[in-house]
Amino acid sequence: MSPDVLAGISQASGFLVLLSTVVGVFLGLTVGMIPGMTISTGIIVLLPVTFVLPADISIALLLGLYVGGMTGGSFSAVLLNIPGTPSASATALDGYPMSARGEAGRALGIAITSSFIGGMVSFLCLLFIAPLLAEVALSFRTEDMFALVFFGITIICSFAAQSLVKGLLSGVIGLAIVTIGQDPVMGTQRFTFGQVNLLGGIHFLTAMIGLFAIPQLVSNLVESVGGAQRIQTKLQSVLPRMSDLRAIRMPVTIGSLTGAFLGILPGAGGPIAAFISYDYTRRISKRREKFGEGTVEGVAAPESANNAVTGGALIPMMTLGIPGDPVTAILIGALIIHGLAPGPLMFTERGDFAFGLIFSFFWANIFNFIIALTALRVLVKLLATPRSLLMPTVAVLCVIGSFALRNNFFDVYVMLFFGLVGLAMRWLDMPVVPLLLALVLGVPLEENLRVALTSSQGDISIFFSSPIAVTFLGLSALSIIWSIRSARLRQRSDPPSSKESSP
Amino acid sequence: MNMFRTMMVGAAAVGLAVAATPAQAFPDGPIEFVIPFGAGGGADIEGRLLAKKMGEILGVPLTPVNRPGGGGAVTYTYIKNAKPDGHTIGWNSTSVLTTTNLGNTDFGYEAMDHVGRVEFQPQPFAVKGDAKWNTFAEFVADCKAAPGTLKVANSGTGSSTHTAAIMLMDAAGCEVIHLPKGIKGRNKSVLNGEADAMIAPLTGAVNLTKAGKLKILLMPTDARSSIFPDVPTAKEVGFDVTLDLFRGLSVPPNTPDDVKAKLADAMAKAANSPEFQDLAKKKGFTVAPLGHEDFTTLLASEDVKVKKVFTSAGLLNSKSKK
Repeated sequence: MSPDVLAGISQASGFLVLLSTVVGVFLGLTVGMIPGMTISTGIIVLLPVTFVLPADISIALLLGLYVGGMTGGSFSAVLLNIPGTPSASATALDGYPMSARGEAGRALGIAITSSFIGGMVSFLCLLFIAPLLAEVALSFRTEDMFALVFFGITIICSFAAQSLVKGLLSGVIGLAIVTIGQDPVMGTQRFTFGQVNLLGGIHFLTAMIGLFAIPQLVSNLVESVGGAQRIQTKLQSVLPRMSDLRAIRMPVTIGSLTGAFLGILPGAGGPIAAFISYDYTRRISKRREKFGEGTVEGVAAPESANNAVTGGALIPMMTLGIPGDPVTAILIGALIIHGLAPGPLMFTERGDFAFGLIFSFFWANIFNFIIALTALRVLVKLLATPRSLLMPTVAVLCVIGSFALRNNFFDVYVMLFFGLVGLAMRWLDMPVVPLLLALVLGVPLEENLRVALTSSQGDISIFFSSPIAVTFLGLSALSIIWSIRSARLRQRSDPPSSKESSP
Repeated sequence: MNMFRTMMVGAAAVGLAVAATPAQAFPDGPIEFVIPFGAGGGADIEGRLLAKKMGEILGVPLTPVNRPGGGGAVTYTYIKNAKPDGHTIGWNSTSVLTTTNLGNTDFGYEAMDHVGRVEFQPQPFAVKGDAKWNTFAEFVADCKAAPGTLKVANSGTGSSTHTAAIMLMDAAGCEVIHLPKGIKGRNKSVLNGEADAMIAPLTGAVNLTKAGKLKILLMPTDARSSIFPDVPTAKEVGFDVTLDLFRGLSVPPNTPDDVKAKLADAMAKAANSPEFQDLAKKKGFTVAPLGHEDFTTLLASEDVKVKKVFTSAGLLNSKSKK
């Protein structure tokens, strides 16, 4: 084992780091479970806390929340038929019928176990694939990075499945916002209107807090859900039976592998992985007509898939600096604040931290399993937390978070402005994720394009002379064609249930 | 960041204000220590330690606050407009000359008062460890044989590394392509062969050079570095080019002289503390405190250099004029 791996294990296994992993998992289970709170919102709310904490503790906390949230989402899906997170939507299909006939404990036990296995499979992928990929990525030149980021940007199409025009528009708005601030190559001021606070550009985390949290606060206010939900808190044994474990072997294998693979591909994310593995498991199952009536297989496949996505999504985040979903986009921001820019150099320069992150992910999965199984009954009671307490807390933390990012009150106004943008987009039925991806990827896209052209003295052929760049540009073309085609196919068949593609 | 710290400092300040008997004596409360760059970078780590030591000496907390943006412009604007009572101080760097001359601010460095310099570091000219060039002269020869083809990476257009690179290449009569690769991309571009050479702050190149992955050909500075005593200075090789990356303290204009003197004294003591010296040794910068007068003289002479380079490169005030 290399010294970096050992340093990583010891970083992740210190008392305070482990403690923050536990806290993160607990918060994640809670946030994931409560309908109306997504994992992204949970992480955004926690961000200001991480600014004052050391990097290793911060990342352990956020990873714990990420992992716990994926599992927590299944609790409300099973008990209330309301997925706590979009990634848990598929779990409700079979989980709720099981709980309706009095098998809630059994369904949750299966969900927790499948989550654990999915998470561990993706941990192994992360541990073995990420360092290799980082080594390859080190040889990427500016033109290769441009092609890679361009490929990342094409993900926007897959988030725009409902209306390509609206999705692309959302992405273009994001790219336009990125041009505010200093020109990355010449340093000229652009669209700052003489406002010194705009020189540093719009911080994407500020924008994200506004875009995600404000519309959610408003809709909670408008809906004024009185918490009249009757929650089934009586659970039988949650420990899975041997016969169930045997029955879920195949679904969990399918779910874990699908989830990890789709996680690595930026853009797919939890909900898609969960539905694909549910669908595939049903197709090969001998009792496929039982699916939807409450089968353990139907719970196991999506639950293992959405947890497997987490480790998969961390691979491109850590090695290429490309986020696969909103959560990893926020994680990139959180790491940058601590001076740790994810990317190929992370494994060379801060290998100890990179492996520390990987092993914190490992612990997060272990604790998630233990806490979910042992504290299930307590956690489920939290479902009854009144929103009149929850939402004001979120609002206060949004203001603190956007201020604390750069210690600048101007950013609070920026956050509120993006809150209005988020509301308008929700009203127009325009997806937010393309805008977010454009905010994250827009800067490296422009920077690499222009530095590459500086290097080649304006000769565009530089993008077609490097095999890596050509490969990624080709993949970009495929990605665009594929998502347009699948969008058409989906439109032609049944209209999809309106699930937002964020975990 | 530091919300909680600020609040705690605030609480401490109330306690101190009650305890302090003589009125009007500086410092009579916590001091905001503004860092112009993000958390985790060199400026941040060095600034935080200095602030901590100065706080111990002055007997009041110095609260580090990062105000990044515009290559330091956000912080310098904040300092220039702050109350001149010594309770707001800025952790400046060579950026106080570069970002102002680029036109990111509508004022020059003279619009602020300057307490003194704390440290400096040379900005070496480095190539890849296994590059064919072993001396700067060999690089120049190749450069002259094929003008406009060799690439020299820097931390960003108008940064101090870019300024030093232009100065050095102009003095050598070399026509190169300057690549603004950013702080993160700069080292990587030399390591993967995309750029042929780079100018980097010494602290950013020490470890890779010790590991043999980089080779430093010369340093545009006054005296040889104690870390790499075999590397010649630019002057020794025949090019009269020096531009160091310095860091020091700035305060709002019209800050009273006795306050500045008190700050300068604490600054020098903190800089010479064993902890700060240890950090310097570990990271590769040189602790060399300068008082108000000497620092102001230095700023004036360096400002002339920066203006001259920016004028020739078409960068002077480029940001506000267009």
